[in-house]
Amino acid sequence: MSKKLVSIYIEGRKIKVPEGYTVIEALWDTGHDIKRGVGCLSGLCGACAIAYLEKGSKRVRFGLGCQTIVKEGMNITVMPFFPSRTANYIISEMGKPIEKLREIYPELDTCKNCGFCTIACPEWINVSKVMKLLKEGKYEEATEMMLDCILCGLCASRCPYGIAPQFISLFVQRAISHEKPFPENLKKRLKEIEEMKYDEEWGRILQMSDEELVEFCKRIREEA
Amino acid sequence: MYSENLLENMELVEKTRESREKQQLPILNEKKKEKLLSSFHPDYRLSGFRALRVGVNRGDRTVHEIADLLEAFSSFDYREINFEKPDLETDVLVLGGGGAGITAALFAHSAGAKVILATKLRLGNSNTIMALGGMQASVSENDSPIRHFADTMVAGKFQGRRELVKAMVDDGPSIVKWLLDLGVNFDRDEKGNLLTKKAGGSIAPRILSIGDYTGLNIIKILKDEIRNRPEIEILEFAPAVELTTNEFGECNGAILFDLERKRFVLVKAKSVILATGGSGRLHIQGFQTSNNFGATGDAIVLAYRAGAKLEGLDSFQYHPTGIVYPDHMVGVLVTEAIRSLGAHLVNSKGERFINELETRDVVAAAMIKECEEGKGIKTPSGRVGVWLDTPVIEERYGKGFLKKKFPALFRMFMRVKINIEKQPLLVYPTLHYQNGGILIDEKGETTVKNLFVAGEAAGGIHGKNRLMGNSLLDIFVFGRRAGLAAARRKYNEPGKQTLSHLERYYQELKSLRITTVAKTPRIFQEYIVGD
Repeated sequence: MSKKLVSIYIEGRKIKVPEGYTVIEALWDTGHDIKRGVGCLSGLCGACAIAYLEKGSKRVRFGLGCQTIVKEGMNITVMPFFPSRTANYIISEMGKPIEKLREIYPELDTCKNCGFCTIACPEWINVSKVMKLLKEGKYEEATEMMLDCILCGLCASRCPYGIAPQFISLFVQRAISHEKPFPENLKKRLKEIEEMKYDEEWGRILQMSDEELVEFCKRIREEA
Repeated sequence: MYSENLLENMELVEKTRESREKQQLPILNEKKKEKLLSSFHPDYRLSGFRALRVGVNRGDRTVHEIADLLEAFSSFDYREINFEKPDLETDVLVLGGGGAGITAALFAHSAGAKVILATKLRLGNSNTIMALGGMQASVSENDSPIRHFADTMVAGKFQGRRELVKAMVDDGPSIVKWLLDLGVNFDRDEKGNLLTKKAGGSIAPRILSIGDYTGLNIIKILKDEIRNRPEIEILEFAPAVELTTNEFGECNGAILFDLERKRFVLVKAKSVILATGGSGRLHIQGFQTSNNFGATGDAIVLAYRAGAKLEGLDSFQYHPTGIVYPDHMVGVLVTEAIRSLGAHLVNSKGERFINELETRDVVAAAMIKECEEGKGIKTPSGRVGVWLDTPVIEERYGKGFLKKKFPALFRMFMRVKINIEKQPLLVYPTLHYQNGGILIDEKGETTVKNLFVAGEAAGGIHGKNRLMGNSLLDIFVFGRRAGLAAARRKYNEPGKQTLSHLERYYQELKSLRITTVAKTPRIFQEYIVGD
């Protein structure tokens, strides 16, 4: 492993760490006892959001600490959490939850589509477009775009109006899925189980000797 | 961006791509498979194992990394705790905040119990998030719970317990209904039916998915749901470090450790559900892992000291395609779907060496063989791997296919300037799943009364090898079963909280002249960064 060191600033403190480290590794290396800002270490859980300024750059950037490699002169702060408003609701007890969208999240319409949220997203989601689609009632399309959202909260941290796009879209995702017609294939299978279609066979399976079970499973798989 | 020597070897991959496409590699016969596994699969490496000397499973074989944790005194000193005065009291205490834990908490709460959920990291930070591929449930027309059962038993080499497998596959469809009601948006076909995909080792299409982000999207919704049930108290950054038992040896609470205040929290409960996941971060046999930072096998340690029986802790799943380059992505998983679609595994000579559609254990063993025989590719930091030729897929299905089908994977590598449409990935088997765990019954209860287990920590379901997509199902099925059964214990008299089980355990260690003190449970692996 390379021994070359780079100088970086972590939460304002200048410190040297080996080249090639991620921000999380640099934090470990410098004795930070981080629990808040670490999770899957695969860029999926959203716990390690960071803001950083690269040497010579005029713009603060955002990313994930486990996926960002430190560079000479980089200035970094960890943002494991940003206060965002979440509404209260029980989806399964709402008749048509999507109709309640504006009651639950009235701030949706205060969005001016300035695009700051999009710039912050480490998952490269066009959050601003998602918000536009939500305002226009194009819920399916918006939900599709937000499947990649890891709830890191960076979009909300940049919103000048204090909106939390990640939670508004999550409500919409749940609301429209809840309202979809119940799938026929699942309905059929549940009915079969309810009518105890398989119970007799289960009874036999539980009684079989080990050898019989091996034979049985082999046969079932060959029949298919 | 690849280093010089890797780019050099990659030229060979490009050169041989066309000829490799025409090649048909046979599926190995049973005898050859067995030989490959016994020579190269880590589960068969005798030096990696030893027989346990203490506890209920004395004499059973397990890996050194787990035996080391079980054959040691805890580094915690509990003398300062006043067991007469618990800090918190509840009906059900759920330990763990992943898919199994949240499900258990929701069901226990819906059954009218008072619930506390404590977790090591942030709520939801778990391996569930990383279950990208999907969840098995027999919902399609040409499938049945019986077929699902047969596939699972065969995959597990008939070492799974049939009553547990039955419980899992039988509950599958109703778990899907529960998730749909919560607003989980499983992919549908044109007719509005649930879309089912085929997986390795399954005779019917049975994988339900949400793009390539299944686990993540389910967790987001479960987190949102539990947030809306404020009666459930959630303690984050508070891992459990010991269970407590009463005079009858029944479980009646746990000691948590508040990571930020750095002090113990004693919780008294009428029943406890352990849902703290697996043990990938123990880096068994030195393997890289795909697991979450918190997956350090704590459940095994806690339950075993309390007297619970373990099962199958000599079997682990090594997922064939874990990243080995660049360094910061070591262990990260590349989904199996990439191989299903026809990506080749290629050694340093530009040759394929195994049919990529063999089961995970066989493919992993074949990759280890290539690398041990000097046909691996070495990275600048000294790791070894083989190529996973992704551009083959792009050529076969047309430009833009990978980006469209695997947005997460594509983006992950674009961040480090590797374009998977044009360049292959360097991979090596990564420690993925703990096939065994703490033995449970159909209710999710262990051999210790009032102690339940759900999720990867549980044992007895997957036998010697887990079928793709069954882990995501098992966490919800046994999370629900454990949650409901635990809630029914709310009229229990929990009795006095003690650590007498620990004293007995320590006596046994002493009588064997074992004096090791270790950080057990591990909580977090200490990573010595730097070299």
